[in-house]
Amino acid sequence: MDDLTLQKIAISGPTLASIIQRFSFSHGAVDGLLFGHVTHIAPSNLSDDHASSSSLSDSSSPIATITGFLCSGTTHSFYDSAGQIDPLTLRRLLGDLDQQHSLIGWFSGRRKTHIRPSFREFSVTSSLSSNTHLSFPVKNALGNTNLNPCVFLLLASPLQDQTIHTHEYRAYQFRTSTGSFEPKSIDIVNIGPAFRGHYGSFSPNSPFPILPCELRTSPMSEDQNDDTLGGMKLFSKDQRELDMCAEGFEVGRLSRLMGSEAVNYTAVLEDLYSKMLNKVESLARLAEKSSARVLEQENHNRKLRYKVARSAALE
Amino acid sequence: MSAENVPPLIAAQLNYLLNHFPLPVKIEQMWSGSKNYPGILDRFTLVVPYCLDFLKWDLIYDAELPMCAPDIIFGAEDETFHQFVARGGVDGEGNSKSPKNCLSDWNNKDPMRLMVLVQQLRDLYMSYQRRRVGEVDDDRLKFEISTIVSREGIEMHMSSGVEKPEEVKFSVPLLDMNLNKMVPGCPWRHQQKIYLQVVYPVGKKYVSTPSPPRLKLLSTSELKTLFSIEEVKLPSWLDGMCMAEYLPHLEESLEKQVLEAVSLIDVRRRFIEASALPFGRPIEADPVFCRRATFLAASGVFTFLVHFFISTQFPKQQPTLMLQSSQHFNSQGAPIKSPHLNEYPWSPRWEPLQMAERIFEFLVDEALSFKRYCNEAHHQH
Repeated sequence: MDDLTLQKIAISGPTLASIIQRFSFSHGAVDGLLFGHVTHIAPSNLSDDHASSSSLSDSSSPIATITGFLCSGTTHSFYDSAGQIDPLTLRRLLGDLDQQHSLIGWFSGRRKTHIRPSFREFSVTSSLSSNTHLSFPVKNALGNTNLNPCVFLLLASPLQDQTIHTHEYRAYQFRTSTGSFEPKSIDIVNIGPAFRGHYGSFSPNSPFPILPCELRTSPMSEDQNDDTLGGMKLFSKDQRELDMCAEGFEVGRLSRLMGSEAVNYTAVLEDLYSKMLNKVESLARLAEKSSARVLEQENHNRKLRYKVARSAALE
Repeated sequence: MSAENVPPLIAAQLNYLLNHFPLPVKIEQMWSGSKNYPGILDRFTLVVPYCLDFLKWDLIYDAELPMCAPDIIFGAEDETFHQFVARGGVDGEGNSKSPKNCLSDWNNKDPMRLMVLVQQLRDLYMSYQRRRVGEVDDDRLKFEISTIVSREGIEMHMSSGVEKPEEVKFSVPLLDMNLNKMVPGCPWRHQQKIYLQVVYPVGKKYVSTPSPPRLKLLSTSELKTLFSIEEVKLPSWLDGMCMAEYLPHLEESLEKQVLEAVSLIDVRRRFIEASALPFGRPIEADPVFCRRATFLAASGVFTFLVHFFISTQFPKQQPTLMLQSSQHFNSQGAPIKSPHLNEYPWSPRWEPLQMAERIFEFLVDEALSFKRYCNEAHHQH
């Protein structure tokens, strides 16, 4: 299990940008958790040439894809000063996030420091990747392969202020077999015609819920269905799931998107898309509002901390 | 460390480290990593002596969280040191003394903690390097290590780089004597020591006779006022020799030379005391090593100072003299001084009083030409 070496670490442009943004807007150093998946990907450039065996062995190793992150806004968020993981705080931080996404590693961002893992970062990563409770399955693996969270993303800024080059980052895989960091290349996945090659290796991580929509042939059967109590319950459950990704779109309208009638309902489909966008926007607004509150509280905390440090020194 | 902008809790820890660490540690660079308080310094490059070289470790505090324990970034060439520390040293030695324990119950109000941490890490670094050297596949090295490893205070370092050839460096402390105690009224804060640096090129398997190691004698910096290490001639290294054979001879001759150097302090003292007869009591003199003395002299109404600089080779080497006028000043307002004077009659076999009297006689003439020199320099302004 330990000897599973990652080929590279992939991250989407917006995710990386948003990690850097959190780091660069924070008051001090930050850390956080990285979510995503580790997947074996069938090489898309299969060729008859067997001479390139090196590339074959390379492409047979899995790719870690970072799809999301949780930034604590401070340091020591799930470990102590010596870098020992505190399982309780980690669990609290994770909440139920790891039921949908696998925790594949963590990141640390610190200003004006050399871009090399520090003493504490080594301990945290080593402790995280030896924690078997956190292991997750590798997708598309031959057989049942599990991996512990072993990805470490290090962010730093140069020692001297520079106008253009403002941030540095490096990704590592921690190998428990050797007890050391292995630098990994980072593949930034972007969307656009120039990045078409990336599509094949990228899988979405917020899929549309699977809703049982039958093909209904007559309007009569629709009425029957809705009348029964069980049907009502099922209907409201489906509606709740749909509400998670689209705002104000009735489940009943989904059935019209299937079958021979569907051609006539492109407008309904467009409406679904626009309501999905609305949902995303209202979520963004919520996040923005709560971020502002968090910032306010952080500023307050910072002032208090500063006061305490001053008074402690005077004692 | 005198920087004003270091948070008080951190400054207390750093000051304790700099003042109480058994070896002279320094802070090479300090800077701020803070966004809100760009003037507050919370990053420090610590320079720790090791194996006649230095380890540069970055101490990373956070101005936002001054109560928190610092983090450390080791040198770029010591990547595998992390692993060694994580495993608790060679055989999990002394878990209660591990840096991890020190960090996990960090107390920001205890200024000693940082020093303890650095000491523990340096000790671990020493055993880390010893293990790396032990892993080198070289028969001669294996033999050398097995014969001298019992010597106290020996440090080793394995250097390997992409472009550099592999080398193993030893720092061997010489002379099992307390040099600080040999000097009465010794002002040295750190223990002074003489070291032999031995650098072995790591042998290529097919070379029949391994090349001799590179040898260099080094001493702690303050010892130079007593004993000049550059003057010592190293015995030659014979083919097929090993350190265990070489060191006793070297130590024997070195011990003689150090004892002589200590006895020379008294020779210099007697000379300064004797000079008081022709010159009068010195205005200023170095009472511990007797390397400097200053007398007031006059030639008619022209009064001037005579500075004596006495080398560790005295009386073989005569003192260097410098005259300084008390009446003539240059355009910057500094007193006019003569160049160093070394050319005057001298014999190391003279009695101290005769030495002082001959210098006095020489200065009677020299004072006149110095006065002329002063007047000319003075008139130019």
